[in-house]
Amino acid sequence: MADDIEFEEEEFTTQFNGRTLLRILAQTKPHWKWVVGFLVTVTFVASLDSYFTFLRKQMIDQGITPGDTAALARIGVLYAVMIFFQAAGVFSFIYLAGVLGERVQYDLRRQMFNHLQDLALKYYSKTPVGWIMSRVTSDSARIAELVTWGMLDVTWGAVSIGSAFVFMLFINWQLALLILLIVPVLLAVAIFFKKKIIVEFRRVRKINSKITGAYNENITGVRVVKALGREEENLREFGQLTGEMYQAGFRAAWLSALFLPVVQVISAIAIGVIIFYGGSRVEQGGLTIGGLAAFISYVTFMLWPVQDLARVYAETQHSIASAERIFSLIDATPDVVDRAGAIDPGTIRGDIEFEHVAFDYGDGQPVLTDFYLKVKRGEMIALVGPTGGGKSTIVNLLCRFYEPVQGSIRIGGQDYRELTLHAIQSRIGMVLQTPHLFSGSIRENIRYGKLDATSEEIEAAAKLAGAHDFIVTLEQGYDEPVGEGGNLLSTGQKQLISLARAVLAKPELFILDEATSSVDTLTEALIQRGVEELMKDRTTFVIAHRLSTIKRADRILVIEQGRIVEMGTHAELLRRRGHYYNLYTRQFRHDLSREYNLFALTGAAVN
Amino acid sequence: MTTAPATFDFQATLSEKRMRGLWRMMRGYRLIYAGALFFIGLGAVMNTLTYVLLAYLVDDVLGQGLYTPIVLLLIALGFVGLALLQGGFTFLGGRLAAQTSEGIVQRLRDYLFDHIQRLSFRYHDKAQTGELIQRSTSDVDAIRRFFAEQATNAGRIVMLFVINLVALLRLNASLALFSIIVIPIVLVVSIWFFRRISRIYEAHQEQEALLSTTLQENLTGVRVVKAFARQSYERDKFEKANWELFLRGRRLLTFHALYWPITDVLCGLQMLAGFLAGAVMTINGVLTIGQYVAYVGLVVWLIWPMRNLGRLIVQMSSGLVSYGRVMEVIKEEREPLTEGVYQPAGAVRGAIEFKDVSFEYDTSVPVLHNISFRCEPGQVVALLGPTGSGKSSLVNLLPRFYDHTSGSLTLDGVELKAYPRRFLRQHIGLVEQEPFLFSRTIRENITYGVGRRVPQGEVEAAAKAAAIHDVIMSFPEGYNTLVGEKGVTLSGGQKQRVAIARTLLKNPRILILDDSTSSVDLETEQEIREALEGLMQNRTTFIIAHRVQSVMNADLILVLDHGRIAQRGTHEELLEQPGIYRQIYDIQTKIEAELEKEVNRSQLSVVSSQ
Repeated sequence: MADDIEFEEEEFTTQFNGRTLLRILAQTKPHWKWVVGFLVTVTFVASLDSYFTFLRKQMIDQGITPGDTAALARIGVLYAVMIFFQAAGVFSFIYLAGVLGERVQYDLRRQMFNHLQDLALKYYSKTPVGWIMSRVTSDSARIAELVTWGMLDVTWGAVSIGSAFVFMLFINWQLALLILLIVPVLLAVAIFFKKKIIVEFRRVRKINSKITGAYNENITGVRVVKALGREEENLREFGQLTGEMYQAGFRAAWLSALFLPVVQVISAIAIGVIIFYGGSRVEQGGLTIGGLAAFISYVTFMLWPVQDLARVYAETQHSIASAERIFSLIDATPDVVDRAGAIDPGTIRGDIEFEHVAFDYGDGQPVLTDFYLKVKRGEMIALVGPTGGGKSTIVNLLCRFYEPVQGSIRIGGQDYRELTLHAIQSRIGMVLQTPHLFSGSIRENIRYGKLDATSEEIEAAAKLAGAHDFIVTLEQGYDEPVGEGGNLLSTGQKQLISLARAVLAKPELFILDEATSSVDTLTEALIQRGVEELMKDRTTFVIAHRLSTIKRADRILVIEQGRIVEMGTHAELLRRRGHYYNLYTRQFRHDLSREYNLFALTGAAVN
Repeated sequence: MTTAPATFDFQATLSEKRMRGLWRMMRGYRLIYAGALFFIGLGAVMNTLTYVLLAYLVDDVLGQGLYTPIVLLLIALGFVGLALLQGGFTFLGGRLAAQTSEGIVQRLRDYLFDHIQRLSFRYHDKAQTGELIQRSTSDVDAIRRFFAEQATNAGRIVMLFVINLVALLRLNASLALFSIIVIPIVLVVSIWFFRRISRIYEAHQEQEALLSTTLQENLTGVRVVKAFARQSYERDKFEKANWELFLRGRRLLTFHALYWPITDVLCGLQMLAGFLAGAVMTINGVLTIGQYVAYVGLVVWLIWPMRNLGRLIVQMSSGLVSYGRVMEVIKEEREPLTEGVYQPAGAVRGAIEFKDVSFEYDTSVPVLHNISFRCEPGQVVALLGPTGSGKSSLVNLLPRFYDHTSGSLTLDGVELKAYPRRFLRQHIGLVEQEPFLFSRTIRENITYGVGRRVPQGEVEAAAKAAAIHDVIMSFPEGYNTLVGEKGVTLSGGQKQRVAIARTLLKNPRILILDDSTSSVDLETEQEIREALEGLMQNRTTFIIAHRVQSVMNADLILVLDHGRIAQRGTHEELLEQPGIYRQIYDIQTKIEAELEKEVNRSQLSVVSSQ
C-alpha cells in the first residue's frame, strides 16, 4: 500500500467559475427527480423546525397564559403528528441526498474510467498515475458532496432562516425587521472564519503529507540511516516538521474553537436587542411571553444554518477546482482513434513497412526521423542499442499506441490508419520487460489473453510457456492469487505467466521487450523456451538483451538516436566490428561470467 | 516546540489496559486537559445561567411590571455578558484541549519516528513499510482525534447533561426526572446503530480500496490492456467494483437515514411530553411561567447532545484500537546504540579477527559456520561466493547490524560486542551495490551522515574523487539538484558513485564494498573502479566480489560456500591449488578465448557464404 500514498497535496487556486458550477449541476440531470425529492423534503423539514418553535409559543400564549388545557392538548396532538412527519422528511432527505451522492460518484468514476480506456498512451506518458487516481477517488467524492449535501445544506440553511423570519414577522414585524439586520453580519463573519479555517486545515494536510513522506523515507532507508549513524540528526529534522505541525494543528484547532463563540456572541447581541426592545412591549400587547421566548429561540438556533451556509460557500470554491480537474480528464481527446470507415481485414499477417516515419513525443525532441524499415511476414527482428535510442518508440508505433507524425506504417500493404485499432491490437501479443499482472488468480491472469479460454486451453498455454511446472507446485495451483500487481510471485514467475498469457492469445504479431533483470538459470531457460514457442511462424519484434535471442534473429537492427546505424545478421554485424561488435562483446563477457560463476560454484559444492 | 524532542518515554506508558495507557500518555498534560474540561464546563454553566436569567426576566421583571428601560437594558447587557463569558470559556476550553491533543501527538510522532529508526535490523527485516507508515500516521491521527474530539466532546456532553440536569432538578425535581426517561433508550439505540454503521463503513472502505487497486492496476498496466485490446473487459471489471461500491455506500446511507429520524422521534416525543407536563404544572401553579420558559430552553440542551454520545462512544472504541496498534510498535525493544563497555578515544586501527564465528537469523538455520580468519589494519579481504553463501551476513556483523551467535569476533584485539554500535558505525563505511539515496539534494546526500558542516570545496573534492562531479555539474542545478521523483533519476552506477563520495567524506577506518558494476557501461566501470581504489587506500577493506578481476590484489581471499570458508589465500596461492577459485579463474580466461573464437567464426561464416 505504500505506493498508493500520495505525499503531496495540490494547491487549489482556481477562482469561482460559473460555467463549471453549471456543468457540475448538470451531473445530476439524469437523476433530477432525486434532486427535487431531497430539495422538497429538506424545505419541508426546515420549515417544520421553525413551526415547532412557533407551536411552543402557541403553547404558552394559548395554553398556559389563559390556562386553557383543551387548547394545550390540541397543540400537543398537532406537535406529535408533526414529529412523525418531520421524521419521515428527515429519512427522505438523508436517503435521497445520500444515495444520490453515491450515485453521482459512481457516475463520475464510470465516466472517467471509460474515457481513460480510450485515451492514448500519450496522455499516460504525461499524466502521473497518482494524479489520475486522485481525480477518480477524492475529486469525484468532493463534487458529489457539493451537488448533494452542499445543495441540501444551502437549502436547509436558507429555508430555516427564511421560515424563521416569516414566523417572526407574523409574531412581531418590527422586531423581525430589526433581527433581519443581523443576518448579513452573522453570515459575513461566519464566511470570514470558515475561509480562514479551511486554509489552516489545508496547511495541516500539507505538513501531514510531509510527515508521511519523512516516515516513508526513514523506514525504507533505515539501513543507511543506521550505517551512517544519522539517527539524531534525522530526529532533529523531523522534530522541526512536527513542530510546524503542532503550530499549524493548534492554530487550526483554536480558530475552529473560536468560530462558534463569536457567532454566538453576535446572536446574543441580537437577543439583547429583543429583550430591550421587546420587553417594554410585552404588556402593551405588542409581544407576548411566548413570542419573546420564540424570538430568543429563533435567534439562538440561527447559528446552525449560518454555519452551514458559510461552510458550503467556503468549500464550493475548492469543489469547483476539483471539478475543473475532473473535466480536464473527461475532455481530454484521445490522440489515437479509429478513422471514419476504418475496417477490420480479419488478419494482420503480412509484410510490415515503416515508410519515412518521423516521430516525437510532443516535446519537440525528434525521436525518429525519416525511419525506413521493411519487415517480411514471419521475420524475426531484434532491436538493440542504448536506452533512449528509439527502440521502444518503434514498438509503440507498431502497436499503434502512437501514430507517426510524418510518414506511414503499412501492414500487408495497407496504411494501418485505415484499419480499426481493435483489428490491430487484438492480434498483437506483447510481453513486457516488467511483466504486469492484475490482482486475481493465476488462471485469471492467463485468461486475459483469451477471455473465453477453457481451463484446458489455459493449461496448454502455460505448458507451452513453461509456466505449468511451477504453477502446480503452488498450494492452490492455477487458483493461487498473485497479489496486487502480482507481488506475491517472483519476477521470473511473473514473466512466465505473462508469456503464457501471450501464448494463449495466439497473436499474429509478437512483440517482446526482454527483461534485463536477472532470474535464476532454470527460470531463464524456461523463459527462453516459452519465447521460442511464441516466435514460431510469427512476425516478431524483440527489444533484445539476451545474446541467445539476438543471435537467433533474422535481422538485427542497431538503433541509435532514432536511426538504424547498423543492420544485418549476427555474423555480418560482428564482422563489421562496429557498434554491434562493442555491444555484443560486452554483453558476452557479462553473461558468461555470470553463468559460469554460478555453475562452477554450485558444481564444486556438490563435489 | 522543537527544543527537546522525544524525551518522553512512551515505553513507560505501556499498559495492558488501553484506557490506563492513554491516561499515562497524558503525563504533563493532565492539568491542562483538566483545565480544558473545567472551562468547557464553565461555558456550559453560563449557557444554563442564560435561561435562569430568562426566567428572572419573565417572572420578576415582566411579570411584576418592572420593565423600566434601565432594568431592561441591564438584563439585555446581562445576556450579552453571559454570552461573552460562555464564548470565552468555551474558546479557552477548546484551546486547552487542542494544546493537549496536539502536544501529546507531537510527542508521540517524534517518539515513534525515533523509535522506528532505532529498532533492530531483525525487526526491519520482517516489518512491512506500508503497515509501519500507516500506524505512524493514520493510527496516530486517530489517537489525536480521540483526545481532540471524541474524549473532549464526550466530556462536554456529559457536563452539559449534569449541569442542566442540576438546574432542572432545582426547578422541579419530578419534571426533571420525567424529562430524561428516554436518554438510556437513546444511548442504547445509538450505540447499537453506530456499531453497525462502523462495520458497514469498514466494508465500504474495503470496497473502496479494491476499486482503487483495480483502477491503479488498469492505469499502470495500460500497455497490457491496449496490447490485448481488453478495454471492454476492463470496463466491465471496473463497473462491477464500482457498482458494488455504490451498493455499499447506499447501505451505509440507509442506516444513517434510519438512525437520525428514529432518534428524532424518540427525543421529540420526550420533549413534547416534558413541554405538556410542564405546561400543566404551570397552569396548576406548580411552576411559574418564567420557569416554564427556562425549562423549555434548558431541556433542549439536555436531550439533543445525548444523541451524539452514542456515536462518540463507538468512535472512541476505534480510537482505542488505533492506540493498541501504535503500542505494538512501541513495545518493540530498541537497538542500544551507545551501550558498550569499551570505547577508545581516537579512531580504531582496523585489525579484525574472526575465531569460530557462527551466526544465524531467527530461523535457527545457521548462516555462517565457524568462520576464522584475521586481517591487519589496511589490508583488503575479498569475499567470493554464490548468492546465499553468507558474504553479506559476514560483513553485516562488523557494524553490529546483527550480532554473531557464537565464537569470538574482535576489533583491535577487543571483543566487538564491547564496542558501542554507534561508535563502530562511525568508523565503518558501507558502499552498497545499489545504494539508497534520499529525496534531498545531491549535496545533502553526499554530506548525509557526516555530522558536521562541510564546506562546498570538500564536497566537490569528494565528488571528484568519486568520479561523479562532472555528472552532477551537467544538471542545471548542480549540487542542489533533487534526487528522486521530483528531481533527477540517477542510474545505478551514478548512485553508487554518490555513495562513494558520501563514504569518502565520512572517512572511515574500515570499509565494506559491494563490488557489482553489472549495470554500468565500460567507461563508467573503469571510473568506478578507480574511485573505489582511491577509497580503499589505508583502510581495512572487505569486498563482496562478483568477479576474479576485483579480488586479484586482495591480501586475503575467502571463498565462501554455504556459510563456510571453502578456500582461503592470496590470488597466487589460490591459483596453485585445485578448487573453486581456480575453476572460476579458468572460466573467466576461457570466456575471452571463446569470444575471440566467436568473432573469428563470424568471419569465416561470412567468407564461406561469399
